[in-house]
Amino acid sequence: MTAAKLGSKLTFENVAKRYGAFTALEPVNLVIEAGEFFALLGPSGSGKSTLLGMAAGFVPPSQGRILVEGKDISRVPPERRNIGMVFQNYSLFPFLNVFRNVAFPLEMRRVPKNEIAERVNRMLSMVRLSHLADRLPSQLSGGQQQRVALARAAVYDPSVLLMDEPLGALDKNLREEMQDEIKQFHAKIGATIIYVTHDQHEAAAMADRTAVLNQGMVMQCGPQSQLYEAPANAFVAGFLGEANILRVAEVATEGYAARVKSVEGIELTAARRTANGASLVACIRPENVVVSKTPLQNANLFEGTVVNVVHAGGNIRYRVQVNGSCCFIARTPTRREHEKHQQGERVFVGFDPEDTLLIPE
Amino acid sequence: MTPSSRYWSAGRTFAWLAVPPLVFLAAFLVIPLARVIVGSFTGSGLTLAHYEKVFSAPVYTHVFVYTLQVAFTVTALCLVIAYPLAFVIANIRGTAQKLMTILVLVPLWSSVVIRSYAWMILFQRRGILNEALLSLGWIDEPLQILQTSVAVQVAMVHILLPFMVLPLVTTMMGIDHTLIRAGRVLGAGPVRLFLRIYLRLSLPGVTAGCALVFITALGFYITPALLGGTQNTMTAVVIEEAVSVFFDWPLASALSTVLLVITMGIYLLYARFTRGDLGMVGK
Amino acid sequence: MRPDTHPGSLMARIGNSALLVYAVLVLAFLMLPLAIIVPMSFSDQPYLTFPPSGWTWHWYEEVRNQPRWLTAAWNSVRIGVPVALLSVVFGTLAALAVTRSGSGWSKPFSLLVLAPMMLPHVIIAIGLYPTIVSLGLAGSYLAIVIGHTVVGIPFVFVTVSAALKNYPPTLDMAARTLGANGWKTFLRVTLPMTWPGIASGGLLAFATSFDELMLALFLTGIRTETLPRIIWDQLSFALTPTIAAAATLILLLTTLLLGIASLLGARRSRKGE
Repeated sequence: MTAAKLGSKLTFENVAKRYGAFTALEPVNLVIEAGEFFALLGPSGSGKSTLLGMAAGFVPPSQGRILVEGKDISRVPPERRNIGMVFQNYSLFPFLNVFRNVAFPLEMRRVPKNEIAERVNRMLSMVRLSHLADRLPSQLSGGQQQRVALARAAVYDPSVLLMDEPLGALDKNLREEMQDEIKQFHAKIGATIIYVTHDQHEAAAMADRTAVLNQGMVMQCGPQSQLYEAPANAFVAGFLGEANILRVAEVATEGYAARVKSVEGIELTAARRTANGASLVACIRPENVVVSKTPLQNANLFEGTVVNVVHAGGNIRYRVQVNGSCCFIARTPTRREHEKHQQGERVFVGFDPEDTLLIPE
Repeated sequence: MTPSSRYWSAGRTFAWLAVPPLVFLAAFLVIPLARVIVGSFTGSGLTLAHYEKVFSAPVYTHVFVYTLQVAFTVTALCLVIAYPLAFVIANIRGTAQKLMTILVLVPLWSSVVIRSYAWMILFQRRGILNEALLSLGWIDEPLQILQTSVAVQVAMVHILLPFMVLPLVTTMMGIDHTLIRAGRVLGAGPVRLFLRIYLRLSLPGVTAGCALVFITALGFYITPALLGGTQNTMTAVVIEEAVSVFFDWPLASALSTVLLVITMGIYLLYARFTRGDLGMVGK
Repeated sequence: MRPDTHPGSLMARIGNSALLVYAVLVLAFLMLPLAIIVPMSFSDQPYLTFPPSGWTWHWYEEVRNQPRWLTAAWNSVRIGVPVALLSVVFGTLAALAVTRSGSGWSKPFSLLVLAPMMLPHVIIAIGLYPTIVSLGLAGSYLAIVIGHTVVGIPFVFVTVSAALKNYPPTLDMAARTLGANGWKTFLRVTLPMTWPGIASGGLLAFATSFDELMLALFLTGIRTETLPRIIWDQLSFALTPTIAAAATLILLLTTLLLGIASLLGARRSRKGE
């Protein structure tokens, strides 16, 4: 038994894509390490599928190079790139049964028949579908089809596996189950995986590192924790979970901190800033905002009225109106001993300067 | 090396596939058509003599006018006759629909020669229609129907009817009936429902069918040649005659070029306001 | 089971029976010629009458006995088959180029390929004939095959384009990432997905060639005379039921072929999700 072949390092060197006057992707430089599970995260039209298409070979770049283990593959057609790809609509061959579907790439590579059977069966048992080898794709459920697609894309040990929103067509519970499967699959085969998704929870659940894209540009790239705790700009902050975002009108540095006045007139102190440029925003995560009936110790303290209360999952989400047009969102875990507030209550909201970021817009 | 050739592109490979059909059609369609157009100007040097002949002789202008008139009449008749039939086919269910569709398609599966021949038999002096009318006592003497304009147009309507029915059915089957329901909820009676909503929604099929029938009718040869007389010739017959009887190829070319221009004109007019594929590509 | 969104209720509102009667009448009108020719081919009178006074196989025997009819039938077949094959090759290539290349030239190229469907055959004929003569092919087998292929290609183009649009292009993309090059993808994926479209286009091209008159008048010689040509000649001489017999036989064949083509077309639209 051969050990799983380890993945390859993939580099996007200054690649961009333009369609006439429209730029789908601004010049991108990304290095994806061998064996890494890398997510491309962003809303539709952000350019993430374009980037994936370039790696696969279906979207010719307008400029730049794509390197696999240092070798330029820009001129290599898809069938010689030794990559695997899984699509959102599975793209299983409807006229072949499960076994023949998975065997297809091996037949293309002229693997001897007995070896084909062995490898296909091994792959099918890895995705737990051996009992369905004779079925046609139309006779399988969505989740089963996706597992076949996975098996088919990996059976020939590609060094890079590309996935284009593969779980988009599945319902929530199935999706989470499949996320675990894919993660385990990754651990078993060791290939480099590039995973495109618009769902930040999905990226968080599976990826080692994530690149966040918007309107054809890479906003930030790094592990999930870094993206969440130190977002590079307002877009990243807002995309990865909720955030209180206030547009900054005036900034004045005071020692190690900055006194900030927002456009709505709210004054607060921010201890972390990542930029000095013109348009900044102040960003505070809801779980760092405390709501209380009695005044708090935080340096940033405001009085307001509870406008909305939502009990979702294990959290209570409060929306507190502090000043005319400005609301703060606070989130506390639902615990027996925590204070609970009603709509219409007068409360205090507070947060620390260390939790207040100044980032570009 | 241009930057675009640095990268492998699927689109480029597929584009090259167009070359063989392009070469074939260039050689055996474009060049022949060019020959026709150029040939219409040949004489001793480049000349408009043939076009003078075409436009000055009342014979030829009459033929063009007659052709356009026939095409127009046939199209109008086809539309009126086909519309209710298409409505029934589009809105009826199951096996009845399949049966009716087959009955519309079967005539298309027999050649125009055979169908025109059948009309000859029907319209002959001792043909079926006359025999029937005589035996019913509606007439005393056999009618002269063959070699008349009526015979040609009736036969053409018959032959072209499926070309009007099929696009209409296709469009009608795609009409969203929730729109009709909305109209009823808003209080419209059946006549208004039809005129203001349904008719308008079926318009794409109407224009596609009319364009298809009109353009095809313009170039008809077999039916007018068999059923029309010397008084009622259509353009294609005259063109063929110019070649096979008069050996006047330049004249035939001039006539053909005029017909070509008219046909292309109608088609471009149609394509300007629609997708231009006569409902054929990408149903 | 009478929801308002069902088209049947619309019918009911407007006058069910009147419309149905009308529809049946029109369909009967469409069937009229066939209802005349087929019985007439069995008539025992040497001229055309209706209804026939007696029944006989005589005219079918005439067709079988006259070598001219048989030769013409054979010519029509041996011309129609290569025409179908060539139309399939050129039409499929054109359809692939237009649907899969996304090039800006697609629209004008489509118009070129579809043009023969719209142009009167007489114009194509008088243009093609001198071209054929200048190639030294007048009256030859190749000449008529070329001419009929020109008008056969649009049919294949339409059916194959529809078949290609009917399945997601990601299927071909998947095959390529799995290691199949362009040709293998076509053979192993595109073909299995589109063969009904290709076959029905080929049958349409064959049937068109089989029934075509105008190009045959210009491009065939004595040795390549086709059935429509013979019928046409006979129509000017003697209107005997022999023609009706030949016409009925031709009708049977083309009905069969086009019936199969329609079934294949329906199958394709049922298969594609």
